[in-house]
Amino acid sequence: MTVIKSRRIFLKNSFLSSVLLITYSGELFGAITPINTIAQVHKDLFPDNKMAPNQNDINASYYLNSILNHSRITNDRKRFIRNGVKWLNEESTLKYRKMYTKLSSTQRQTILRDISKTNWGESWLDIIMTYLLEAMLGDPIYGGNRAESGWKWLKHTSGFPRPKKAFL
Amino acid sequence: MKYDICIIGSGAGGSPIAYELSNIGYRVVVLEKGPYLKEEDFSKDEVAISRRDLYAPLLKDEQHVINQYEEDGTVTRYEGSEYSWSFWNGSMVGGSSNLMSGYFHRLKPNDFRLKSKYGEISGANIVDWPISYEDLEPYYTKVESIIGVSGDAKKHKFLEPRSTKNFPYQMLEVNDATKWFDSTCKELGYESFPTPRAILPYASLNRDGCAYSNFCGSYACATGAKGSARAALLQKCNAKIISDAFVYKLDSDEKRVTQAYYYDKDMKSHIVEAKIFVLAAQAIESSRLLLNSKNNYFPNGLANNNNQVGKNLIFSAGGNGEGRIRFENLTKEQQEALMQPGLFFNRSLQDEYEYKDGDRKIKGGTVDFLFEHANIINRAKKEIYDDNGSLIWGENLQKKMFKNITTSRVLKFEIFNDWLPTDYCNVIIDDKVKDKYGVNVGAINLYSHPQDVKVGEYLALRAKKILQHMGAEDIYVNISSAPPPNLVAGGCRFGDDPKISVLDANCKAHELDNLYVTDASFMPTGGSVPYTWSIYANSFRVSDVIKNILKS
Repeated sequence: MTVIKSRRIFLKNSFLSSVLLITYSGELFGAITPINTIAQVHKDLFPDNKMAPNQNDINASYYLNSILNHSRITNDRKRFIRNGVKWLNEESTLKYRKMYTKLSSTQRQTILRDISKTNWGESWLDIIMTYLLEAMLGDPIYGGNRAESGWKWLKHTSGFPRPKKAFL
Repeated sequence: MKYDICIIGSGAGGSPIAYELSNIGYRVVVLEKGPYLKEEDFSKDEVAISRRDLYAPLLKDEQHVINQYEEDGTVTRYEGSEYSWSFWNGSMVGGSSNLMSGYFHRLKPNDFRLKSKYGEISGANIVDWPISYEDLEPYYTKVESIIGVSGDAKKHKFLEPRSTKNFPYQMLEVNDATKWFDSTCKELGYESFPTPRAILPYASLNRDGCAYSNFCGSYACATGAKGSARAALLQKCNAKIISDAFVYKLDSDEKRVTQAYYYDKDMKSHIVEAKIFVLAAQAIESSRLLLNSKNNYFPNGLANNNNQVGKNLIFSAGGNGEGRIRFENLTKEQQEALMQPGLFFNRSLQDEYEYKDGDRKIKGGTVDFLFEHANIINRAKKEIYDDNGSLIWGENLQKKMFKNITTSRVLKFEIFNDWLPTDYCNVIIDDKVKDKYGVNVGAINLYSHPQDVKVGEYLALRAKKILQHMGAEDIYVNISSAPPPNLVAGGCRFGDDPKISVLDANCKAHELDNLYVTDASFMPTGGSVPYTWSIYANSFRVSDVIKNILKS
């Protein structure tokens, strides 16, 4: 029941799937979908390797999409996440004339390091990382932490009882 | 129907009266703003409870305004919703007692006579209480058996006098690491003792025992082991509980409160009549309700013709600190013992509840030691910054997170010392911001006396030394003047002089014959311990007063 409900929310939510326009020197440079950029940032912040749960298990993009419909996440926060995607891509086009997702791995790391030294960039990365950790380590009922992969990785014993439904 | 008693607020301040009076046949109604949630509704859902603040109102619907006194004498205004600054705790039946950690310490005899014993402090409104420790002692004892307090009354320098030899419930089970802690304290010449907890170690009082999940603070207890006002009292009595009932006004004639007005969740207004009214909505909201309840007899708000309501608001001063105990410094067996989940740490120090600065006796406080909360998202989030405060990510982050969380454990301490009452820390009504009910919100004028931080820092020295001697690393101490929203008291202090107090020694309003305030509002000074045990004990004391009045 909860899964079905979450999927409906996912489909209904256009906040991160509607197109954002990126300009360069006052000219339209191109269009991007925020969730695609964020999915790439997730991989760059928490890379797939043998050490930790992979992005498929964490399911951070799905989680972010569903949690952003939450009444307890303010509109300011949602706007900031979306604006951050815009600014990240503007930094990318300014430095490399390419959208973030089209950059090489090294270039993306350079951009992330650059923005992490700005106020907005540090806050934005902190927020993206926080929701990624929520996805990885929250109860699997929210769609992340598949097969409790995050808990197993950090040898965490969940408290009981576990939630019977997601608080969305 | 007219009730004998109408209680506003269902937490530790109101529930003992509901329990005591309804159990001897009086008609009691309890009005609670939040929902009625029970054991079956509770889980350890960190996302909902710690990340989305499930048990607090949305700040855009209900908030406080904070007017903070800055060091340069200016005042900065913060609207809570804009700055995500929340003073709500446990908006639900049983109130914030559902979410407490249940660290239970009694006040000491000298806490009742701070002015006589330690003298005046410039800029602080210190007074003696109108009652003594001896007046409250039988009720502390009563709380031990009715709410259920577990512990071991080990002798130490500031152990308060007890009328019973020991606690009715044995200590909760503790982690082996407490042995290293105790021996370190012994080497240093400090007296550690087991922290009493309002948690049942085994099934009793028709409640289940502790499940040892290490999720006490911020979470409601699904077994009923934690002595919340709901589990221990409201679910054991016949008081009528109306949840989702926000009381927005009390009306009165010249001498008596006549009616309470509340909105239900559909914004429909209702009236409750009773012979006696008990206000216990938590300190800030109790003052707010009185100040918002104006009529011809009380143009400045109910019980406020002497302009004392809202004055001398206090929090708990102090702060916290932590250190990391790493595997590298332990044997294999010790490593396994350290990582055992669930078992408590439960150690406290009160050696410096009083200390000397030159010739002057200074009131000190309590240090509680505990393991870091089990919240895993929170623990992982701490790892995303390096030692220089810069964000890290990628494999560096993954390695650091894995190592710190799986091969070390953080031991924390919390310091409790007096937040001195002053002229600059109080509750008023904000004239601009209203809540979702259309009622003006409470504004907190916020100021911390310099002595508060000074004492906190002094107490932290000893706590830090223990962590150092235990071989802990990454030691961090945070003593500040930030007000802990879950440790708030004052605003309607009790006292013998109506010119400088709102309530008399029985917590009855000086200006009204049938109004009692029994949350932490009554406290003129706070002592240097968490408040809940004293709130419970005082409310049982006032229950006896009300019993006698209703009998006569």
